[in-house]
Amino acid sequence: MLKSLSRAVSVAARLSTKAPAAAPTARAALASPALCAPSSASTRPFTRSIWMLCSSNGATSGSRPKLLSTERGLPAVPCGCGGLHTEGDKAFAEFLSDEIKEEKKIQKSATLPKMSGGWELKLNGTEAKLIRSLSGERVTITFNINNSIPPTLEEEEEPGHGQKAEEKEPEIVSTPNFVVEVLKQGAKNALVFDCHFPEDEIGHGKGQEESDIFAIQEVSFQPEGDEDWKETSYTLNTDSLDWALYDHFMDFLADRGVDNTFANELIELSTALEHKEYIQFLEDLSSYIKCN
Amino acid sequence: MGIVLRNLQNVVPLRRARLRKDVETLRHILGVQKFDLGIICVDNRKIQNLNRIYRKKNAPTDVLSFPFYEDLRPGKMPCALHRDEFNLGDIFLGVEYVMQQCRETSCDFHGTLTVVAAHGICHLLGYRHETEEEWNELFQRESYILTEFNRLTGSHLEPLTKRCTQDS
Repeated sequence: MLKSLSRAVSVAARLSTKAPAAAPTARAALASPALCAPSSASTRPFTRSIWMLCSSNGATSGSRPKLLSTERGLPAVPCGCGGLHTEGDKAFAEFLSDEIKEEKKIQKSATLPKMSGGWELKLNGTEAKLIRSLSGERVTITFNINNSIPPTLEEEEEPGHGQKAEEKEPEIVSTPNFVVEVLKQGAKNALVFDCHFPEDEIGHGKGQEESDIFAIQEVSFQPEGDEDWKETSYTLNTDSLDWALYDHFMDFLADRGVDNTFANELIELSTALEHKEYIQFLEDLSSYIKCN
Repeated sequence: MGIVLRNLQNVVPLRRARLRKDVETLRHILGVQKFDLGIICVDNRKIQNLNRIYRKKNAPTDVLSFPFYEDLRPGKMPCALHRDEFNLGDIFLGVEYVMQQCRETSCDFHGTLTVVAAHGICHLLGYRHETEEEWNELFQRESYILTEFNRLTGSHLEPLTKRCTQDS
């Protein structure tokens, strides 16, 4: 239940809630020789010539900065990097600088949490694989942190609780769909389970209607190591499945280390990975905007 | 729908297929196989929370029953007319609590879970244990159910009330 409550804030809040607090520091940091700042005009003749062209009453005019604003339809000034720089870009870079600082502040650890049970982690961008061999079987879990944060509906604040809701930082939790492949020794095909974290458990659950921590959506046999899902393989959908068979599947996975404990650890790992990738994205974006 | 089984905890490893099969057998013994039943397995924290909210007892327990038919007379079958009325209600099994009890008494966990589930189903069917008379009535019913269960499965289970459990 607590988990459900903690997710009751939209993902978008991440960008919108933190910027104001740290804004002054970043503004100070970015006041130094920015590529398109008016002070750099003296060392960049070409840029200065643009200034001259744009100016209506000479370079000494007090209205000079205005010429670079979007009001006059000249949103950007070219610089040596080959890109454009606008006041908007400058504000954007400042915002990103603040955001990166804030995100690093709330990052629990720079290293990813370890999964118990001897799972080996392999990363490829946003895709993660957890591999474990046990008694001749190889179990591989694959998940991708992209789009793994469920969209949450803004819950209406109860009167009198508004203040409290503002004080509490929303917790962002990554709950990716994950695929479990179980390959037996000598078998051509792996038994593949398409699993997910049901929405009502992680997001909007109210009352006592709660789902399992994770659920199996589909089961099929797939050729070993094939990257592409073979659509011609029979795929068992659990929506209309005999529940006894479903329970046997769940027990089968639990015997191979894929149980509720695993699922909770997977959420922790995925959340940490998603946050790390988010920070990396912000840093890349910041560099891109600043053309460093 | 039949039996809706949920496992919301990660403290105790659970054999879902066995639990479902055992509860299915209990349903047949009681002649309520047409009625839906929710079995939700939870840890101490969750069941303590429910116990506090619904029974004003701030402690974990083994089972809490939430009957669909709240005023059912013990031993009387629910009178369901529409499809959605074929519902007994939900049982929350405090599997962590049961596991702790089993460790202390060296009992088989899944066998005990079946006994606890039988107790919970009896509550869904109107049985109580607030008076001596009710207690005896419940004990008789549990004895019958588990005797039948033992006969069908070769188990050796005994009623929960015999163990002087005042909870649930």
